[in-house]
Amino acid sequence: MAPRSQGYKLKIEVWLKEGLVDAEGKTLEEALVDLGFPIESAKAGRVYEIILNVESREEAGEEAERMCDKLLANPVKDRCVVDIIE
Amino acid sequence: MSRRLTRPADVGEIDLLGAGMEELTGIASAFGLSLKEAEVVKGYFVGLGRNPTDVELHAISQLWSEHCRHKTFRGIVMDEDGKGIVDDILSSYIARATEKIGAPWVVSFLEDDAGVVRFVDGYGVAVKVETHNHPSAIDPFGGAATGIGGVIRDVLAVWADPIALVDVLCFGPPDIHQEIGEFLHPRRIARGVVDGIGYYGNNVGIPTVAGAVCFDEGYVGNVVVYAGCLGLLPLDRYARNPRSGDALVLIGNRTGRDGMGGASFASSSLSGKVEELRPAVQIPDPIEEEKLLRFVSKVRDEGLASAITDLGGGGLAVAAAEIAGRASSGCFLDLDAVHVREEMKPWEILVSESQERMLLAAPSGNLDRVMDLAEEEELEASRIGSLTGTGIFEASHEEATVMGISVEFLLHPPKSVKVARRRRVREFDLGMPEPTSVEGALLELLSSPNVSSRESLIRTYDFEVRGNTAVKPLEEPFGGPNDAAVIKPLDERREGIVISVGLKPRYSRISPYWMAASSIEESLRNNVAVGGRRMAILDNFVWGSPEDPDNMWSLVEAARACHDLAMAFGTPFISGKDSLYNESPLGPVLPTLLITAVGLIPDVEKSVTVSLKNKGDSIYVLGTTRKELGGSEYYALRGAGWGHVPKVKPDESKAVMDCLTAAIDDGIVMAAHDVSDGGLGVALAEMVLSSGLGMEVSLRSVPGDLVKRDDYLLFSESNGRFIVEVEMGSEGRFEEIADEKGCTYARMGRVRGDRLQVEGYDGRTIIDLGHEELRDAWRREQW
Amino acid sequence: MVRVAVLRVPGTNCDRETARAIEEAGAEAFVLHVGQLERGEEDLMNYHGLVIPGGFSYGDRIRAGAVLAARLGSKLDEQIEEFAASNRPILGICNGFQVLVELGLLPGFEGCRAALAPNESAHFECRWVWLKKTGSCDLAIGPPLQAMPIAHSEGRLVFSSPSCLEKAGSAGLIVYRYAKPDGSSADGEYPYNPNGSQGDVAALCNPSRMIMGIMPHPERAIYNWQTPLRLRPPAGLGIFRALISAAERSL
Repeated sequence: MAPRSQGYKLKIEVWLKEGLVDAEGKTLEEALVDLGFPIESAKAGRVYEIILNVESREEAGEEAERMCDKLLANPVKDRCVVDIIE
Repeated sequence: MSRRLTRPADVGEIDLLGAGMEELTGIASAFGLSLKEAEVVKGYFVGLGRNPTDVELHAISQLWSEHCRHKTFRGIVMDEDGKGIVDDILSSYIARATEKIGAPWVVSFLEDDAGVVRFVDGYGVAVKVETHNHPSAIDPFGGAATGIGGVIRDVLAVWADPIALVDVLCFGPPDIHQEIGEFLHPRRIARGVVDGIGYYGNNVGIPTVAGAVCFDEGYVGNVVVYAGCLGLLPLDRYARNPRSGDALVLIGNRTGRDGMGGASFASSSLSGKVEELRPAVQIPDPIEEEKLLRFVSKVRDEGLASAITDLGGGGLAVAAAEIAGRASSGCFLDLDAVHVREEMKPWEILVSESQERMLLAAPSGNLDRVMDLAEEEELEASRIGSLTGTGIFEASHEEATVMGISVEFLLHPPKSVKVARRRRVREFDLGMPEPTSVEGALLELLSSPNVSSRESLIRTYDFEVRGNTAVKPLEEPFGGPNDAAVIKPLDERREGIVISVGLKPRYSRISPYWMAASSIEESLRNNVAVGGRRMAILDNFVWGSPEDPDNMWSLVEAARACHDLAMAFGTPFISGKDSLYNESPLGPVLPTLLITAVGLIPDVEKSVTVSLKNKGDSIYVLGTTRKELGGSEYYALRGAGWGHVPKVKPDESKAVMDCLTAAIDDGIVMAAHDVSDGGLGVALAEMVLSSGLGMEVSLRSVPGDLVKRDDYLLFSESNGRFIVEVEMGSEGRFEEIADEKGCTYARMGRVRGDRLQVEGYDGRTIIDLGHEELRDAWRREQW
Repeated sequence: MVRVAVLRVPGTNCDRETARAIEEAGAEAFVLHVGQLERGEEDLMNYHGLVIPGGFSYGDRIRAGAVLAARLGSKLDEQIEEFAASNRPILGICNGFQVLVELGLLPGFEGCRAALAPNESAHFECRWVWLKKTGSCDLAIGPPLQAMPIAHSEGRLVFSSPSCLEKAGSAGLIVYRYAKPDGSSADGEYPYNPNGSQGDVAALCNPSRMIMGIMPHPERAIYNWQTPLRLRPPAGLGIFRALISAAERSL
């Protein structure tokens, strides 16, 4: 019997690549320092939660990568971190 | 002088002196130089008796890039037989027109970062339009946003306070399905670009008030993003007298590795491989820019600096060389004094294109105050060097000299020679079967991507911030398209600045000359429609590779039209920019010339907008309608590539414009609209859907020499035409003015009811549409 | 003469026209950088009214108004408290409204919190809207129906519970609601309610009636030439006149 497709829950984080200006992170850092927190550094990214119907965990990972390429991230400046949380 | 430069470990030496032809070719290509240029560079270093450092070659590479030095526009063009066509397009066509016109309202043209025209007593308006095509192709959001940031700094660089933004965008068709390889889909590009413009403009707090969007297959591989900025400056504060001894101060963002080599990148063709281009991405920070605006205007008002320039293409290398060149002096930079974000090599610091930075020259006595002002605005600033009397661009790193080249040499690359292949323009019209329903054709045109409403896009831009927008891009409350925007920049004055654009790229498939001519005429017409006059214009060429003789020919043709039409209308060019090498595996970009017009209106309260105002008023058409459907929206929708492209008859156009201006000043014009894409049909429909009123008009009286075809009458795109609503009872006065100005006109009907009703040439009603039908078609979003 | 302070930080960009509107309404306006207050070069108590203008303070990073609120709340909390306690008016326009909400000065009654969430359309929106006066505040006088422009991406007012909306409504604290051109309720319908705000709330007053937040921009509706023909007469001046009258009491 062919494997049935099932829902995989993905958490995809999108971060700016190293070395690029992270203005939001910098602002966050300064505001937290203002509020008196002992901040070493802060970074800002985005997170997406997506439920995907595919046949395997492996396929879920591949599809997630394609989603990153096609829409969620711009490979030129962003990097994706994919977490399959089932 | 045969002194060898001492060389720290992170500075390389390139063996140019010992390079044979093969090595030289390799060096040339590594640094984006032509072989001829590499030979000139080699000759220079042979003269110095030493090899260059990598810092020096990178600086030359940036300074001699097409982007920075406009080599094609400054070079020689020959035909295929080696006969000269033109030497220096810029001087021969564009600058020459401005010089010959000698308009007293021009303050500065084609020399600074932005052109300047006189506004009212003591004030000038600075204008600059740039392109940011390649960056927008690989990172639509960031590319478009940094384009806005860059052009704002161009305006700051003539000490002006930015007051308005303009953006003009050209994308591939939104409904394209064909395989487009590695290129981003036009919709994704469009969304990113629009978001990027809105993000930057809204955050920095400058209203985005004018622009245009066009769609064509010629932009699938080459997106075109024009960003323009206007500024206001007190002319007596226009400081540009840098002197040797002045300190050089770098202000704003920290320098990082982003946007490395953007200038030479902008001048090379897109390969379709997006990943490789990673380092050239620039990251926008509009809040940093907002601090720069505040800082620059304070420094100006206190008269603290002697010169200022922005860091754009080529980074610090280009900025410092240009300030030194202006002072006819040299400069010394301590690269270790630059505030950096990460560890960088000296050459990287020199050519980095990190955004939101400006370079200031100030007498050293003013330095403390300059630094205090920077701190007040929470900006970082570093004293990084000074202007010197040596004529040499010197740079040091770890106390060693890593660069020492003549500023003259850096600023004057050898002349390029390009070949143009003459092409005869052949125009013919195979016609078009008459549609069964003209009404249906009008609705189809209204919902076509090139005509339909831009409301959903324009509303994501803050067009009101600063509270000085007197005529908005949208006519509230229905969102109709105003032809131009009006800004009232001075509280104590009634005068306004009128901003409009002209863009007719599709005509270039038939005739690049008439494409350029039509773009100029359209920009002026749009300006006049709201009440503008005393105009100056800007040219922005976006073309394919000038190495291709066909591209070169169309470029020369368009430039020739710029000269002829500027002369004919008496409108000087004050600034311009060219973006060449817009090539992709899908071919060159559709040759595109954007004309931006900046005019003056003596009283903003007399501005005229697009919407119908009062029942009973008369509707007039001004100008002549000819069978000019080549490149029209109507023919394009039906896939017809033929037809006669609209020509410009300057005398007719001028009479029409003079008539409208005089009637506006007389206070009898209630609404006006320029007739362009989609012809009379679309213009009439837009006037109706912009208001709660309707009109009843007839095509029978429309002046022209057309065969009896309602569709041709309605959809021809002949230049030099307006639709005007004249106040009821003032028809006699209006016709008197029109006769006096020698303007061709006819009364078409009147404002009546709440529908658009059009009677065809034979007296039948051919269009009868209500607001809902018109708006539904016009707002059908296809992109 | 009444002196009104207009605060700014990096990204505040409506301070100039706001100051101009205050002067048009008959007071003296002073644009102060928050840094000047922090360093003690300026004292808020030398002013009779305070306006936090529109713009994008700190680029709306984290959340619109959040970073400026954090800066004010951590370094100037005592000054602002003293200012409000001395019954001097505080007006927040657009981004300033967001700041007042982040600071907790609005809605300002027991057991209720509010937030200005992203517009339902999920994007920035610039358009003229109709406002209907449905409450009372010392910072608002003017006709029952008026037009003003909005320009924001985060303007959807949400309360911590439905009872809060009711409470604010019955106490007359919802000063303006988005409406249709004929004065009828927008009832959440786009584009009359441009952002999906609960109860069509466009402006909110605190129970002391001396602190008001408003999403539309009154400073952009001061002159005839700013105001589209069909939306005249311009209505923004009323807000600033009311602010000045309220400020006069502490002269």
